[in-house]
Amino acid sequence: MRFALRELRRRPGRFATATVILTLIAILLMFLGSLLDGLIRSSTGAIRAQDGDVLVYSDASRASLARSLIDPGVRAEIESVPGVVDTGGVGLVQLGARVPGAGERDLAAVALFGVEIPPAGVPEVPPPGQVYADEVLRSDGIAIGTELLLGPARSPVEVIGFVTDTSFIGQGALWSDAATWREVLEQNRPGARVGDEVFQALLVRGDTDADGLAASIDTATGSTESLSITDAANALPGVEEQQGTFNQIIGVTLVIAVVVIGLFFALITVERTALYGVLKALGAHTSTLFAGLVAQAAVVTLIAAVIAAGALIALDAAIPPGGLPLDVTPERIIVSTVLLLIAAIAGCAFSLRRILKIDPASAIGSGS
Amino acid sequence: MFLALREMHRAKVRFGLLIVAIALLVFLILFQQSLQNGLLTSFVGGIRNQSAPVLVYSTDGQRFIQGSIITPDLEAEVRASGAVDEVSRIGQGTFTVAAGAETFDTSIVGYESLGAPERLSAGRAPNAPGEAIGADADIDQGFAIGDVVTVIPGGATLTIVGVATDVQLNAGPTLFVDYATYLEVVASVNPDAQTALPSVLGVSPAPGFSAADTTAALNALSPDLDALIRAEAADLAPGVDQIRQSFQIIFALYAIVVPCVTGLFFLIITFQKAAALTLLRALGAPARRLVSSLLFQAVLIVGGGYALGTALYYPVSQQRLGGIALRFETASVLGWAIALMVLGVGSSLIAARRVLRIDPVDATTGVGQ
Repeated sequence: MRFALRELRRRPGRFATATVILTLIAILLMFLGSLLDGLIRSSTGAIRAQDGDVLVYSDASRASLARSLIDPGVRAEIESVPGVVDTGGVGLVQLGARVPGAGERDLAAVALFGVEIPPAGVPEVPPPGQVYADEVLRSDGIAIGTELLLGPARSPVEVIGFVTDTSFIGQGALWSDAATWREVLEQNRPGARVGDEVFQALLVRGDTDADGLAASIDTATGSTESLSITDAANALPGVEEQQGTFNQIIGVTLVIAVVVIGLFFALITVERTALYGVLKALGAHTSTLFAGLVAQAAVVTLIAAVIAAGALIALDAAIPPGGLPLDVTPERIIVSTVLLLIAAIAGCAFSLRRILKIDPASAIGSGS
Repeated sequence: MFLALREMHRAKVRFGLLIVAIALLVFLILFQQSLQNGLLTSFVGGIRNQSAPVLVYSTDGQRFIQGSIITPDLEAEVRASGAVDEVSRIGQGTFTVAAGAETFDTSIVGYESLGAPERLSAGRAPNAPGEAIGADADIDQGFAIGDVVTVIPGGATLTIVGVATDVQLNAGPTLFVDYATYLEVVASVNPDAQTALPSVLGVSPAPGFSAADTTAALNALSPDLDALIRAEAADLAPGVDQIRQSFQIIFALYAIVVPCVTGLFFLIITFQKAAALTLLRALGAPARRLVSSLLFQAVLIVGGGYALGTALYYPVSQQRLGGIALRFETASVLGWAIALMVLGVGSSLIAARRVLRIDPVDATTGVGQ
């Protein structure tokens, strides 16, 4: 092991090209993962922030807030289901917001939620005409006290505070009371107006497990689709497709990493065959030689991962707000690094057979 | 060439691994190219391939049809403009539609005169209420000509009478109906709703006006109007630029990895063969022959990897990913073939340079060993 690490220190140039390639692959892995995280985070924040156990939609809505309607009759049925402790209506309208001081055509994309139970981070349901805004809207010049004019009807709302990680399908959320949402919806989307006391979904708090509660509600009403908060977030359009596609691409990229590392260390092993023969003749075990190879692969991979993480953080800093939805987190960097390390060890396994086959006697006969 | 082939034959595993690595990279590049194009087409194909040369959004819509609403005042301003010839209301919404045994998030576009798919690939245009044009990417999901689909709740039924190519919106099934049918569908799913306003206006330029002149004239009318030429409307739709940027970064990284892997491989191989190459040079083999042998191997490796990668890509390109129909991108296959061949062979020139620097005299001194 010490021998292998000393070689790395004394002849770093030999490993430079492999490090460069692995760095590129590590950047790819981390970039793809961070892009996926960013896309999912900016799509699902508002749902994940719901302070309850189950979201109930009408069964024909396919878990879409915009297409779901829960009327007071259905709500009463839900409230009578055993295990339901509390319910709160949820409504949504997606609009452009005019920000004071911004250009006439420079609108902020917002998703106005009307809620009866405040989401995580919002201390209480705001009074009519006032909203809590998601932090991402700060980049549009929105601050506490800003009066936003929503939609073509220029419905005014005042921002009284900020909340983190509540974006919805890439739009910054505004959290208002139900009356404000209902008024803004009617003024700006007459074709989507809903009746009094009608909501698009119902947030339910229960005293039993979420999946069981969801099943009980659907059985009781016969006209709803109830999902746990996690399932509701995953049911948003494109979320599962994005996760599936990106994870497949990340998987194939890892296979490429295995092949590249395998190729590199197989070639290194071929080059060192005579040397390994001598070491074996001197008593070195195959496991020691292989461990040295794995140690070298691990060090090269770690160096590549560190450089890649730095490059990704720099890229993230360089992207202007509202650009690529990159979400660089320590968790993603660590997971990518661990996956690369596993790929490195798997790649080295290609060389194990060759090391096993080396005959110590060749050290005497080969003359090399 | 004989030496090059012989060497590859004897070291099948190492050359095979390199071919596999390149093939996987090629597969990923081509697959993602298809994914990017499929994503963009399924998001905005219905805008790019509809018949209105100019689309007028409300500024509030931020270039998202479903988010745009044209108020009566704005519509009157557009109709009064001397820059427009024909003006057509276009409405769009996403509805739950039962087709076959399944339900789908389906975009329904209502149009008056402009706004329908520009060309049909089969069938005819609707000529009665309740008839619809579908996207041919959705045929297998119960949206073929003759199929009857039901909008739920409400139960409005639509009969598919024609289909068109690349006219999806929002990466899902898409139907085009006449405007009155669209209003009926909106009312059927939400009885509390008031009459829906048009989402956008489809406009044709007045005689003597180009599409660009018309958009400029309409945008000058009011800051609340956002008129765009059809292709611009597709390119500037929310998310399109982000998708392109993301994929460009991914393509660039993969494209760099290919020459790096190829270059590294041949550099190491050349390094390992240094003694043999020195001996060959001492025996009179011209450097040019050794270099061409190396380049021949690089061409075979990159070409073989590319062929294998394309073979892996072909069956995948015939599949659907959710609502996105992938397709075999011949132009991309050819373009990337040229680019990767140049990059891959170019990277092996570093190894060729090492071969050219070999001094035959070293064979007598042992330096090459």
